[in-house]
Amino acid sequence: MNASASDDQADVERVLAGDVSAFEGIVRRWQTPLVNLAYRFCHDRCRSEDMAQEAFLRAYRGLAQWRKDAVFSTWLFALATNLYRSELRRIPARTVSLEDIAEPPDTRASDRSLEDRDYDRDTTVRRAVFALPAKYREALTLFYFHDMDVTTAARSLGLPEGTVKARLFRGRDILRNKLPQLLAVPRLKEA
Amino acid sequence: MKRLTERDEAEINSILSREDEILPSSGFATSVMDAVRREATAPPPIPFPWKRALPGLVVGCFALVLVLVAGVRVIAQLDKATGPQASMSSPSVAPLLFHGGGIESAATWTVLALLLALVSVKLSVRLTSGRV
Repeated sequence: MNASASDDQADVERVLAGDVSAFEGIVRRWQTPLVNLAYRFCHDRCRSEDMAQEAFLRAYRGLAQWRKDAVFSTWLFALATNLYRSELRRIPARTVSLEDIAEPPDTRASDRSLEDRDYDRDTTVRRAVFALPAKYREALTLFYFHDMDVTTAARSLGLPEGTVKARLFRGRDILRNKLPQLLAVPRLKEA
Repeated sequence: MKRLTERDEAEINSILSREDEILPSSGFATSVMDAVRREATAPPPIPFPWKRALPGLVVGCFALVLVLVAGVRVIAQLDKATGPQASMSSPSVAPLLFHGGGIESAATWTVLALLLALVSVKLSVRLTSGRV
């Protein structure tokens, strides 16, 4: 996410002046982050591209509404987040309940490599996040997507920072309570 | 309630920060730009015909206000005529409307309602066919 803000601004001005092809610069700069953000919401590669395409279309339609009081990427992520949340409310992603995923594979099995065990544990934690209630899941998704920056996550979600912090805390707390065995087992790397 | 330890926090942070990055398919940007170009060349959306709809809306609002005022008046007259005890014991206002206003009044209201329905149907048909 280190694209030049001035490039964005220049492209936006060209698009608003009638040069539609200038929008391609914006698409190429932001396609990977937007598809990845969508993927974290739906965990479906095909659907994440559809959602990201719709986000770009909405950005194109609403380009004149970007008031330049924040950088373009902040506006774009807020728009995309809003769309992804609505989309997931309309057609929820397939999730499993927290109870169903609370059984991680047996980490003591001797025939499994260290990498396999780490992979299993990581997958279980990610699935547990995905199974959280939407408001906690969204806060956690945005927080980690934005490199653990609460301010940016709050802007993307259109919520006060305090609310996001509370949801992060509660979300992590649910994870801790639902997956005690997962986090209690000492990692072999540390042993 | 259990508190998260610093180690748990670090563990969860570490796992969730390592999310794999996926790359958009090769034709993604082209596909988005095709959709954007289609959007750009599409005719602008048809605006709501306020000019045509306004007379109908005004008439509708006026009729609604008239009906409400008339209804309030009828209820007030009935309250006066029957007194507090009678109005508390009567289960419905509808039969009283007919007793209080007479059959002519009921017929007038029916005709008025039918006319209003006819006008609104005519107006909506004309609006949709664009013949105003």
